[in-house]
Amino acid sequence: MTEPSLHINLGGLAMKNPVTVASGTFGYGSEYGHYFDVSLLGAVTVKSLSLKPRPGNRPPRISETPAGMLNAIGLQNVGIDVYLKEKLPYLREKNCTIIANIYGYSPEEYAELAQRLEKEGGADALEANLSCPNVHDAKNTCGPALVAQSPQRVKEYTETIRAATSLPLYIKLSPNVADIREPALAAQEGGADAVALINTLLGMNIDVETRKPCLSNIVGGLSGPAIRPVAVKMVWDAARVLNIPVLGMGGIYTADDAIQFLLAGATAVAVGCASFRRPDAALQVIRGMRDYCIRHGIEDIQKLTGALRLQ
Amino acid sequence: MIHLLDCKVLSNDEVAPGHRRLVLDGKAIAEDTCAGQFCMLESSPGLQPFLRRPMSIERFGGDSFSVLYKIVGEGTRLLGRIQPGDTVNVQGPLGNGFSIPKEFKRYILVGGGIGIAPLPGLAQALIRETGTPPEVILAARSRDILLCQEDFTRMNCPVFLVTDDGSAGMHGFASNALEARKPDKNTLVYTCGPMIMMGAVHRICMENGSRCQASLEANMACGDGVCMGCVVETTLQEEFRRMVRVCHEGPVFDSRDIRWNTGTPAHD
Ligand SMILES: Cc1cc2nc3c(=O)[nH]c(=O)nc-3n(C[C@H](O)[C@H](O)[C@H](O)COP(=O)(O)OP(=O)(O)OC[C@H]3O[C@@H](n4cnc5c(N)ncnc54)[C@H](O)[C@@H]3O)c2cc1C
Ligand SMILES: Cc1cc2nc3c(=O)[nH]c(=O)nc-3n(C[C@H](O)[C@H](O)[C@H](O)COP(=O)(O)O)c2cc1C
Ligand code: FES
Repeated sequence: MTEPSLHINLGGLAMKNPVTVASGTFGYGSEYGHYFDVSLLGAVTVKSLSLKPRPGNRPPRISETPAGMLNAIGLQNVGIDVYLKEKLPYLREKNCTIIANIYGYSPEEYAELAQRLEKEGGADALEANLSCPNVHDAKNTCGPALVAQSPQRVKEYTETIRAATSLPLYIKLSPNVADIREPALAAQEGGADAVALINTLLGMNIDVETRKPCLSNIVGGLSGPAIRPVAVKMVWDAARVLNIPVLGMGGIYTADDAIQFLLAGATAVAVGCASFRRPDAALQVIRGMRDYCIRHGIEDIQKLTGALRLQ
Repeated sequence: MIHLLDCKVLSNDEVAPGHRRLVLDGKAIAEDTCAGQFCMLESSPGLQPFLRRPMSIERFGGDSFSVLYKIVGEGTRLLGRIQPGDTVNVQGPLGNGFSIPKEFKRYILVGGGIGIAPLPGLAQALIRETGTPPEVILAARSRDILLCQEDFTRMNCPVFLVTDDGSAGMHGFASNALEARKPDKNTLVYTCGPMIMMGAVHRICMENGSRCQASLEANMACGDGVCMGCVVETTLQEEFRRMVRVCHEGPVFDSRDIRWNTGTPAHD
């Protein structure tokens, strides 16, 4: 059989395969450069960038859970200036496709980040993180803690960022909602080119010997294989009502996991904390997806998106 | 250079109650390790436990290296079941090991419990760099878990034992034993063990004008500077150095840079 085509288009971004990495689990790309050639990824998604560097939460910040982990990093990141000056050159030199994940405290901050990244060539697409469970929106004194929990605010934020940039814009959503379709549709109405889901699920772990929470933040975000079925279901729910593509993630460890997301309706996928366990996990997922296509006689991987058989 | 290798198990023997030494075939890792560096081991090939386990590289050089470990939970219990001939996936060497500035007159190693693991390798490096065997304080809860004593005596290091229950050597804590050795401003102390012990060792060093390098522990996910999960708070003023990664900037730090009592107010 001829080599299958793994090319996809994610809301205006051409990717040589459907696999990127999840923000916060791959640093700024160079960190994994000694394990494999990171330009083989469909795209590199960088850690959430904020206007100013952030020191993050106090330790302990991570706690292991069954087939997964909780984290409460609090978006420790170098900030956009250091990213542009020190981190970006590596990614550009390697000819990587870059999805820059952004985090702000107001729609205007997101817009400013988007504008700067576009103007200074810092990204090929943007993923706005409206769903980090570990930081507080300073201006939000009532209502849900996360922007992604309010469809109205998702729409407002998306519109403001949309107006600021012509780069492909993805909105990253939280699974901590009753119905994922509502924020997903709000992002679409606001002008997003794709939605990315899921961010981590809120969770808690307690050390019974000391009776203390395992994280200084008390609660954190759950990720890893444990959350995969939840994520696949949310992709399935969202993809059926959207006209824009879905970037699916949550617990992907193997190629079969990634294929599940495509079948449920995702156009592309992100490998997250699996990279902590296997630094080359994303590369193995790409290889395994190619093998799957060959085994099933699929010439174009795009044919798998939403190809779930119901009978 | 950091490697990701399937290493064949050469042996995995008990060395003291609840403590084992896992010897692994892995020339690339053995050759590239410096004293005080660590590796991330898969304690099981499956998804449970999900994360790798950080372990100091104890012996290295030649074709193999070892880790000395204490069984405390699920991951180390599974490690304890591994048989010679099995393979274990290892990522390493990771982090920055001990540094050996030459201007000191005395070098004292203080190891508590399983924290002794990286110190025989350090003693060897000190002998190579300074020509003199360092003094060694070995602390443990009781005599049956004082580890690596023969390694140090073989290198002609003066060894001072101290146990919590007085079953061997001095009755007391590592910091008491260090104080009795009268460290001064020409002394460099290296320490690895429980945080509470290292905090006490740090204080004795500050009181006596000595310098101290401490090898810290923290929960880790990636072990390689990516997840920002393993940070400790520092005394450094610059905003961005307030939190440093044990796996990347450490695990060995100048003890003055660490905020030993973490009762400081939360910030975000
Ligand atoms: C740089 C470094 C070097 C280390 N070197 C050694 C060594 O040479 N020998 C040795 O016996 N132990 C060492 N440790 C501690 C060792 O990593 C833990 O004892 C081990 O991870 C416990 O795993 P578990 O599944 O048995 O315990 P569990 O308590 O079931 O583990 C639960 C989770 O907490 C983490 N964890 C538990 N205790 C510790 C700890 N003390 N430090 C960091 N993470 C912990 C585990 O990795 C796991 O993610 C080192 C730790 C670090 C950070
Ligand atoms: C340590 C850690 C840090 C993360 N940091 C970010 C972040 O900065 N921005 C973001 O949008 N998502 C962040 N995430 C969420 C991931 O991008 C991803 O949505 C989530 O982990 C689910 O995927 P996984 O189960 O494959 O890890 C982080 C996750 C982890 C585990
Ligand atoms: S363990 Fe991930 S940064 Fe240290």
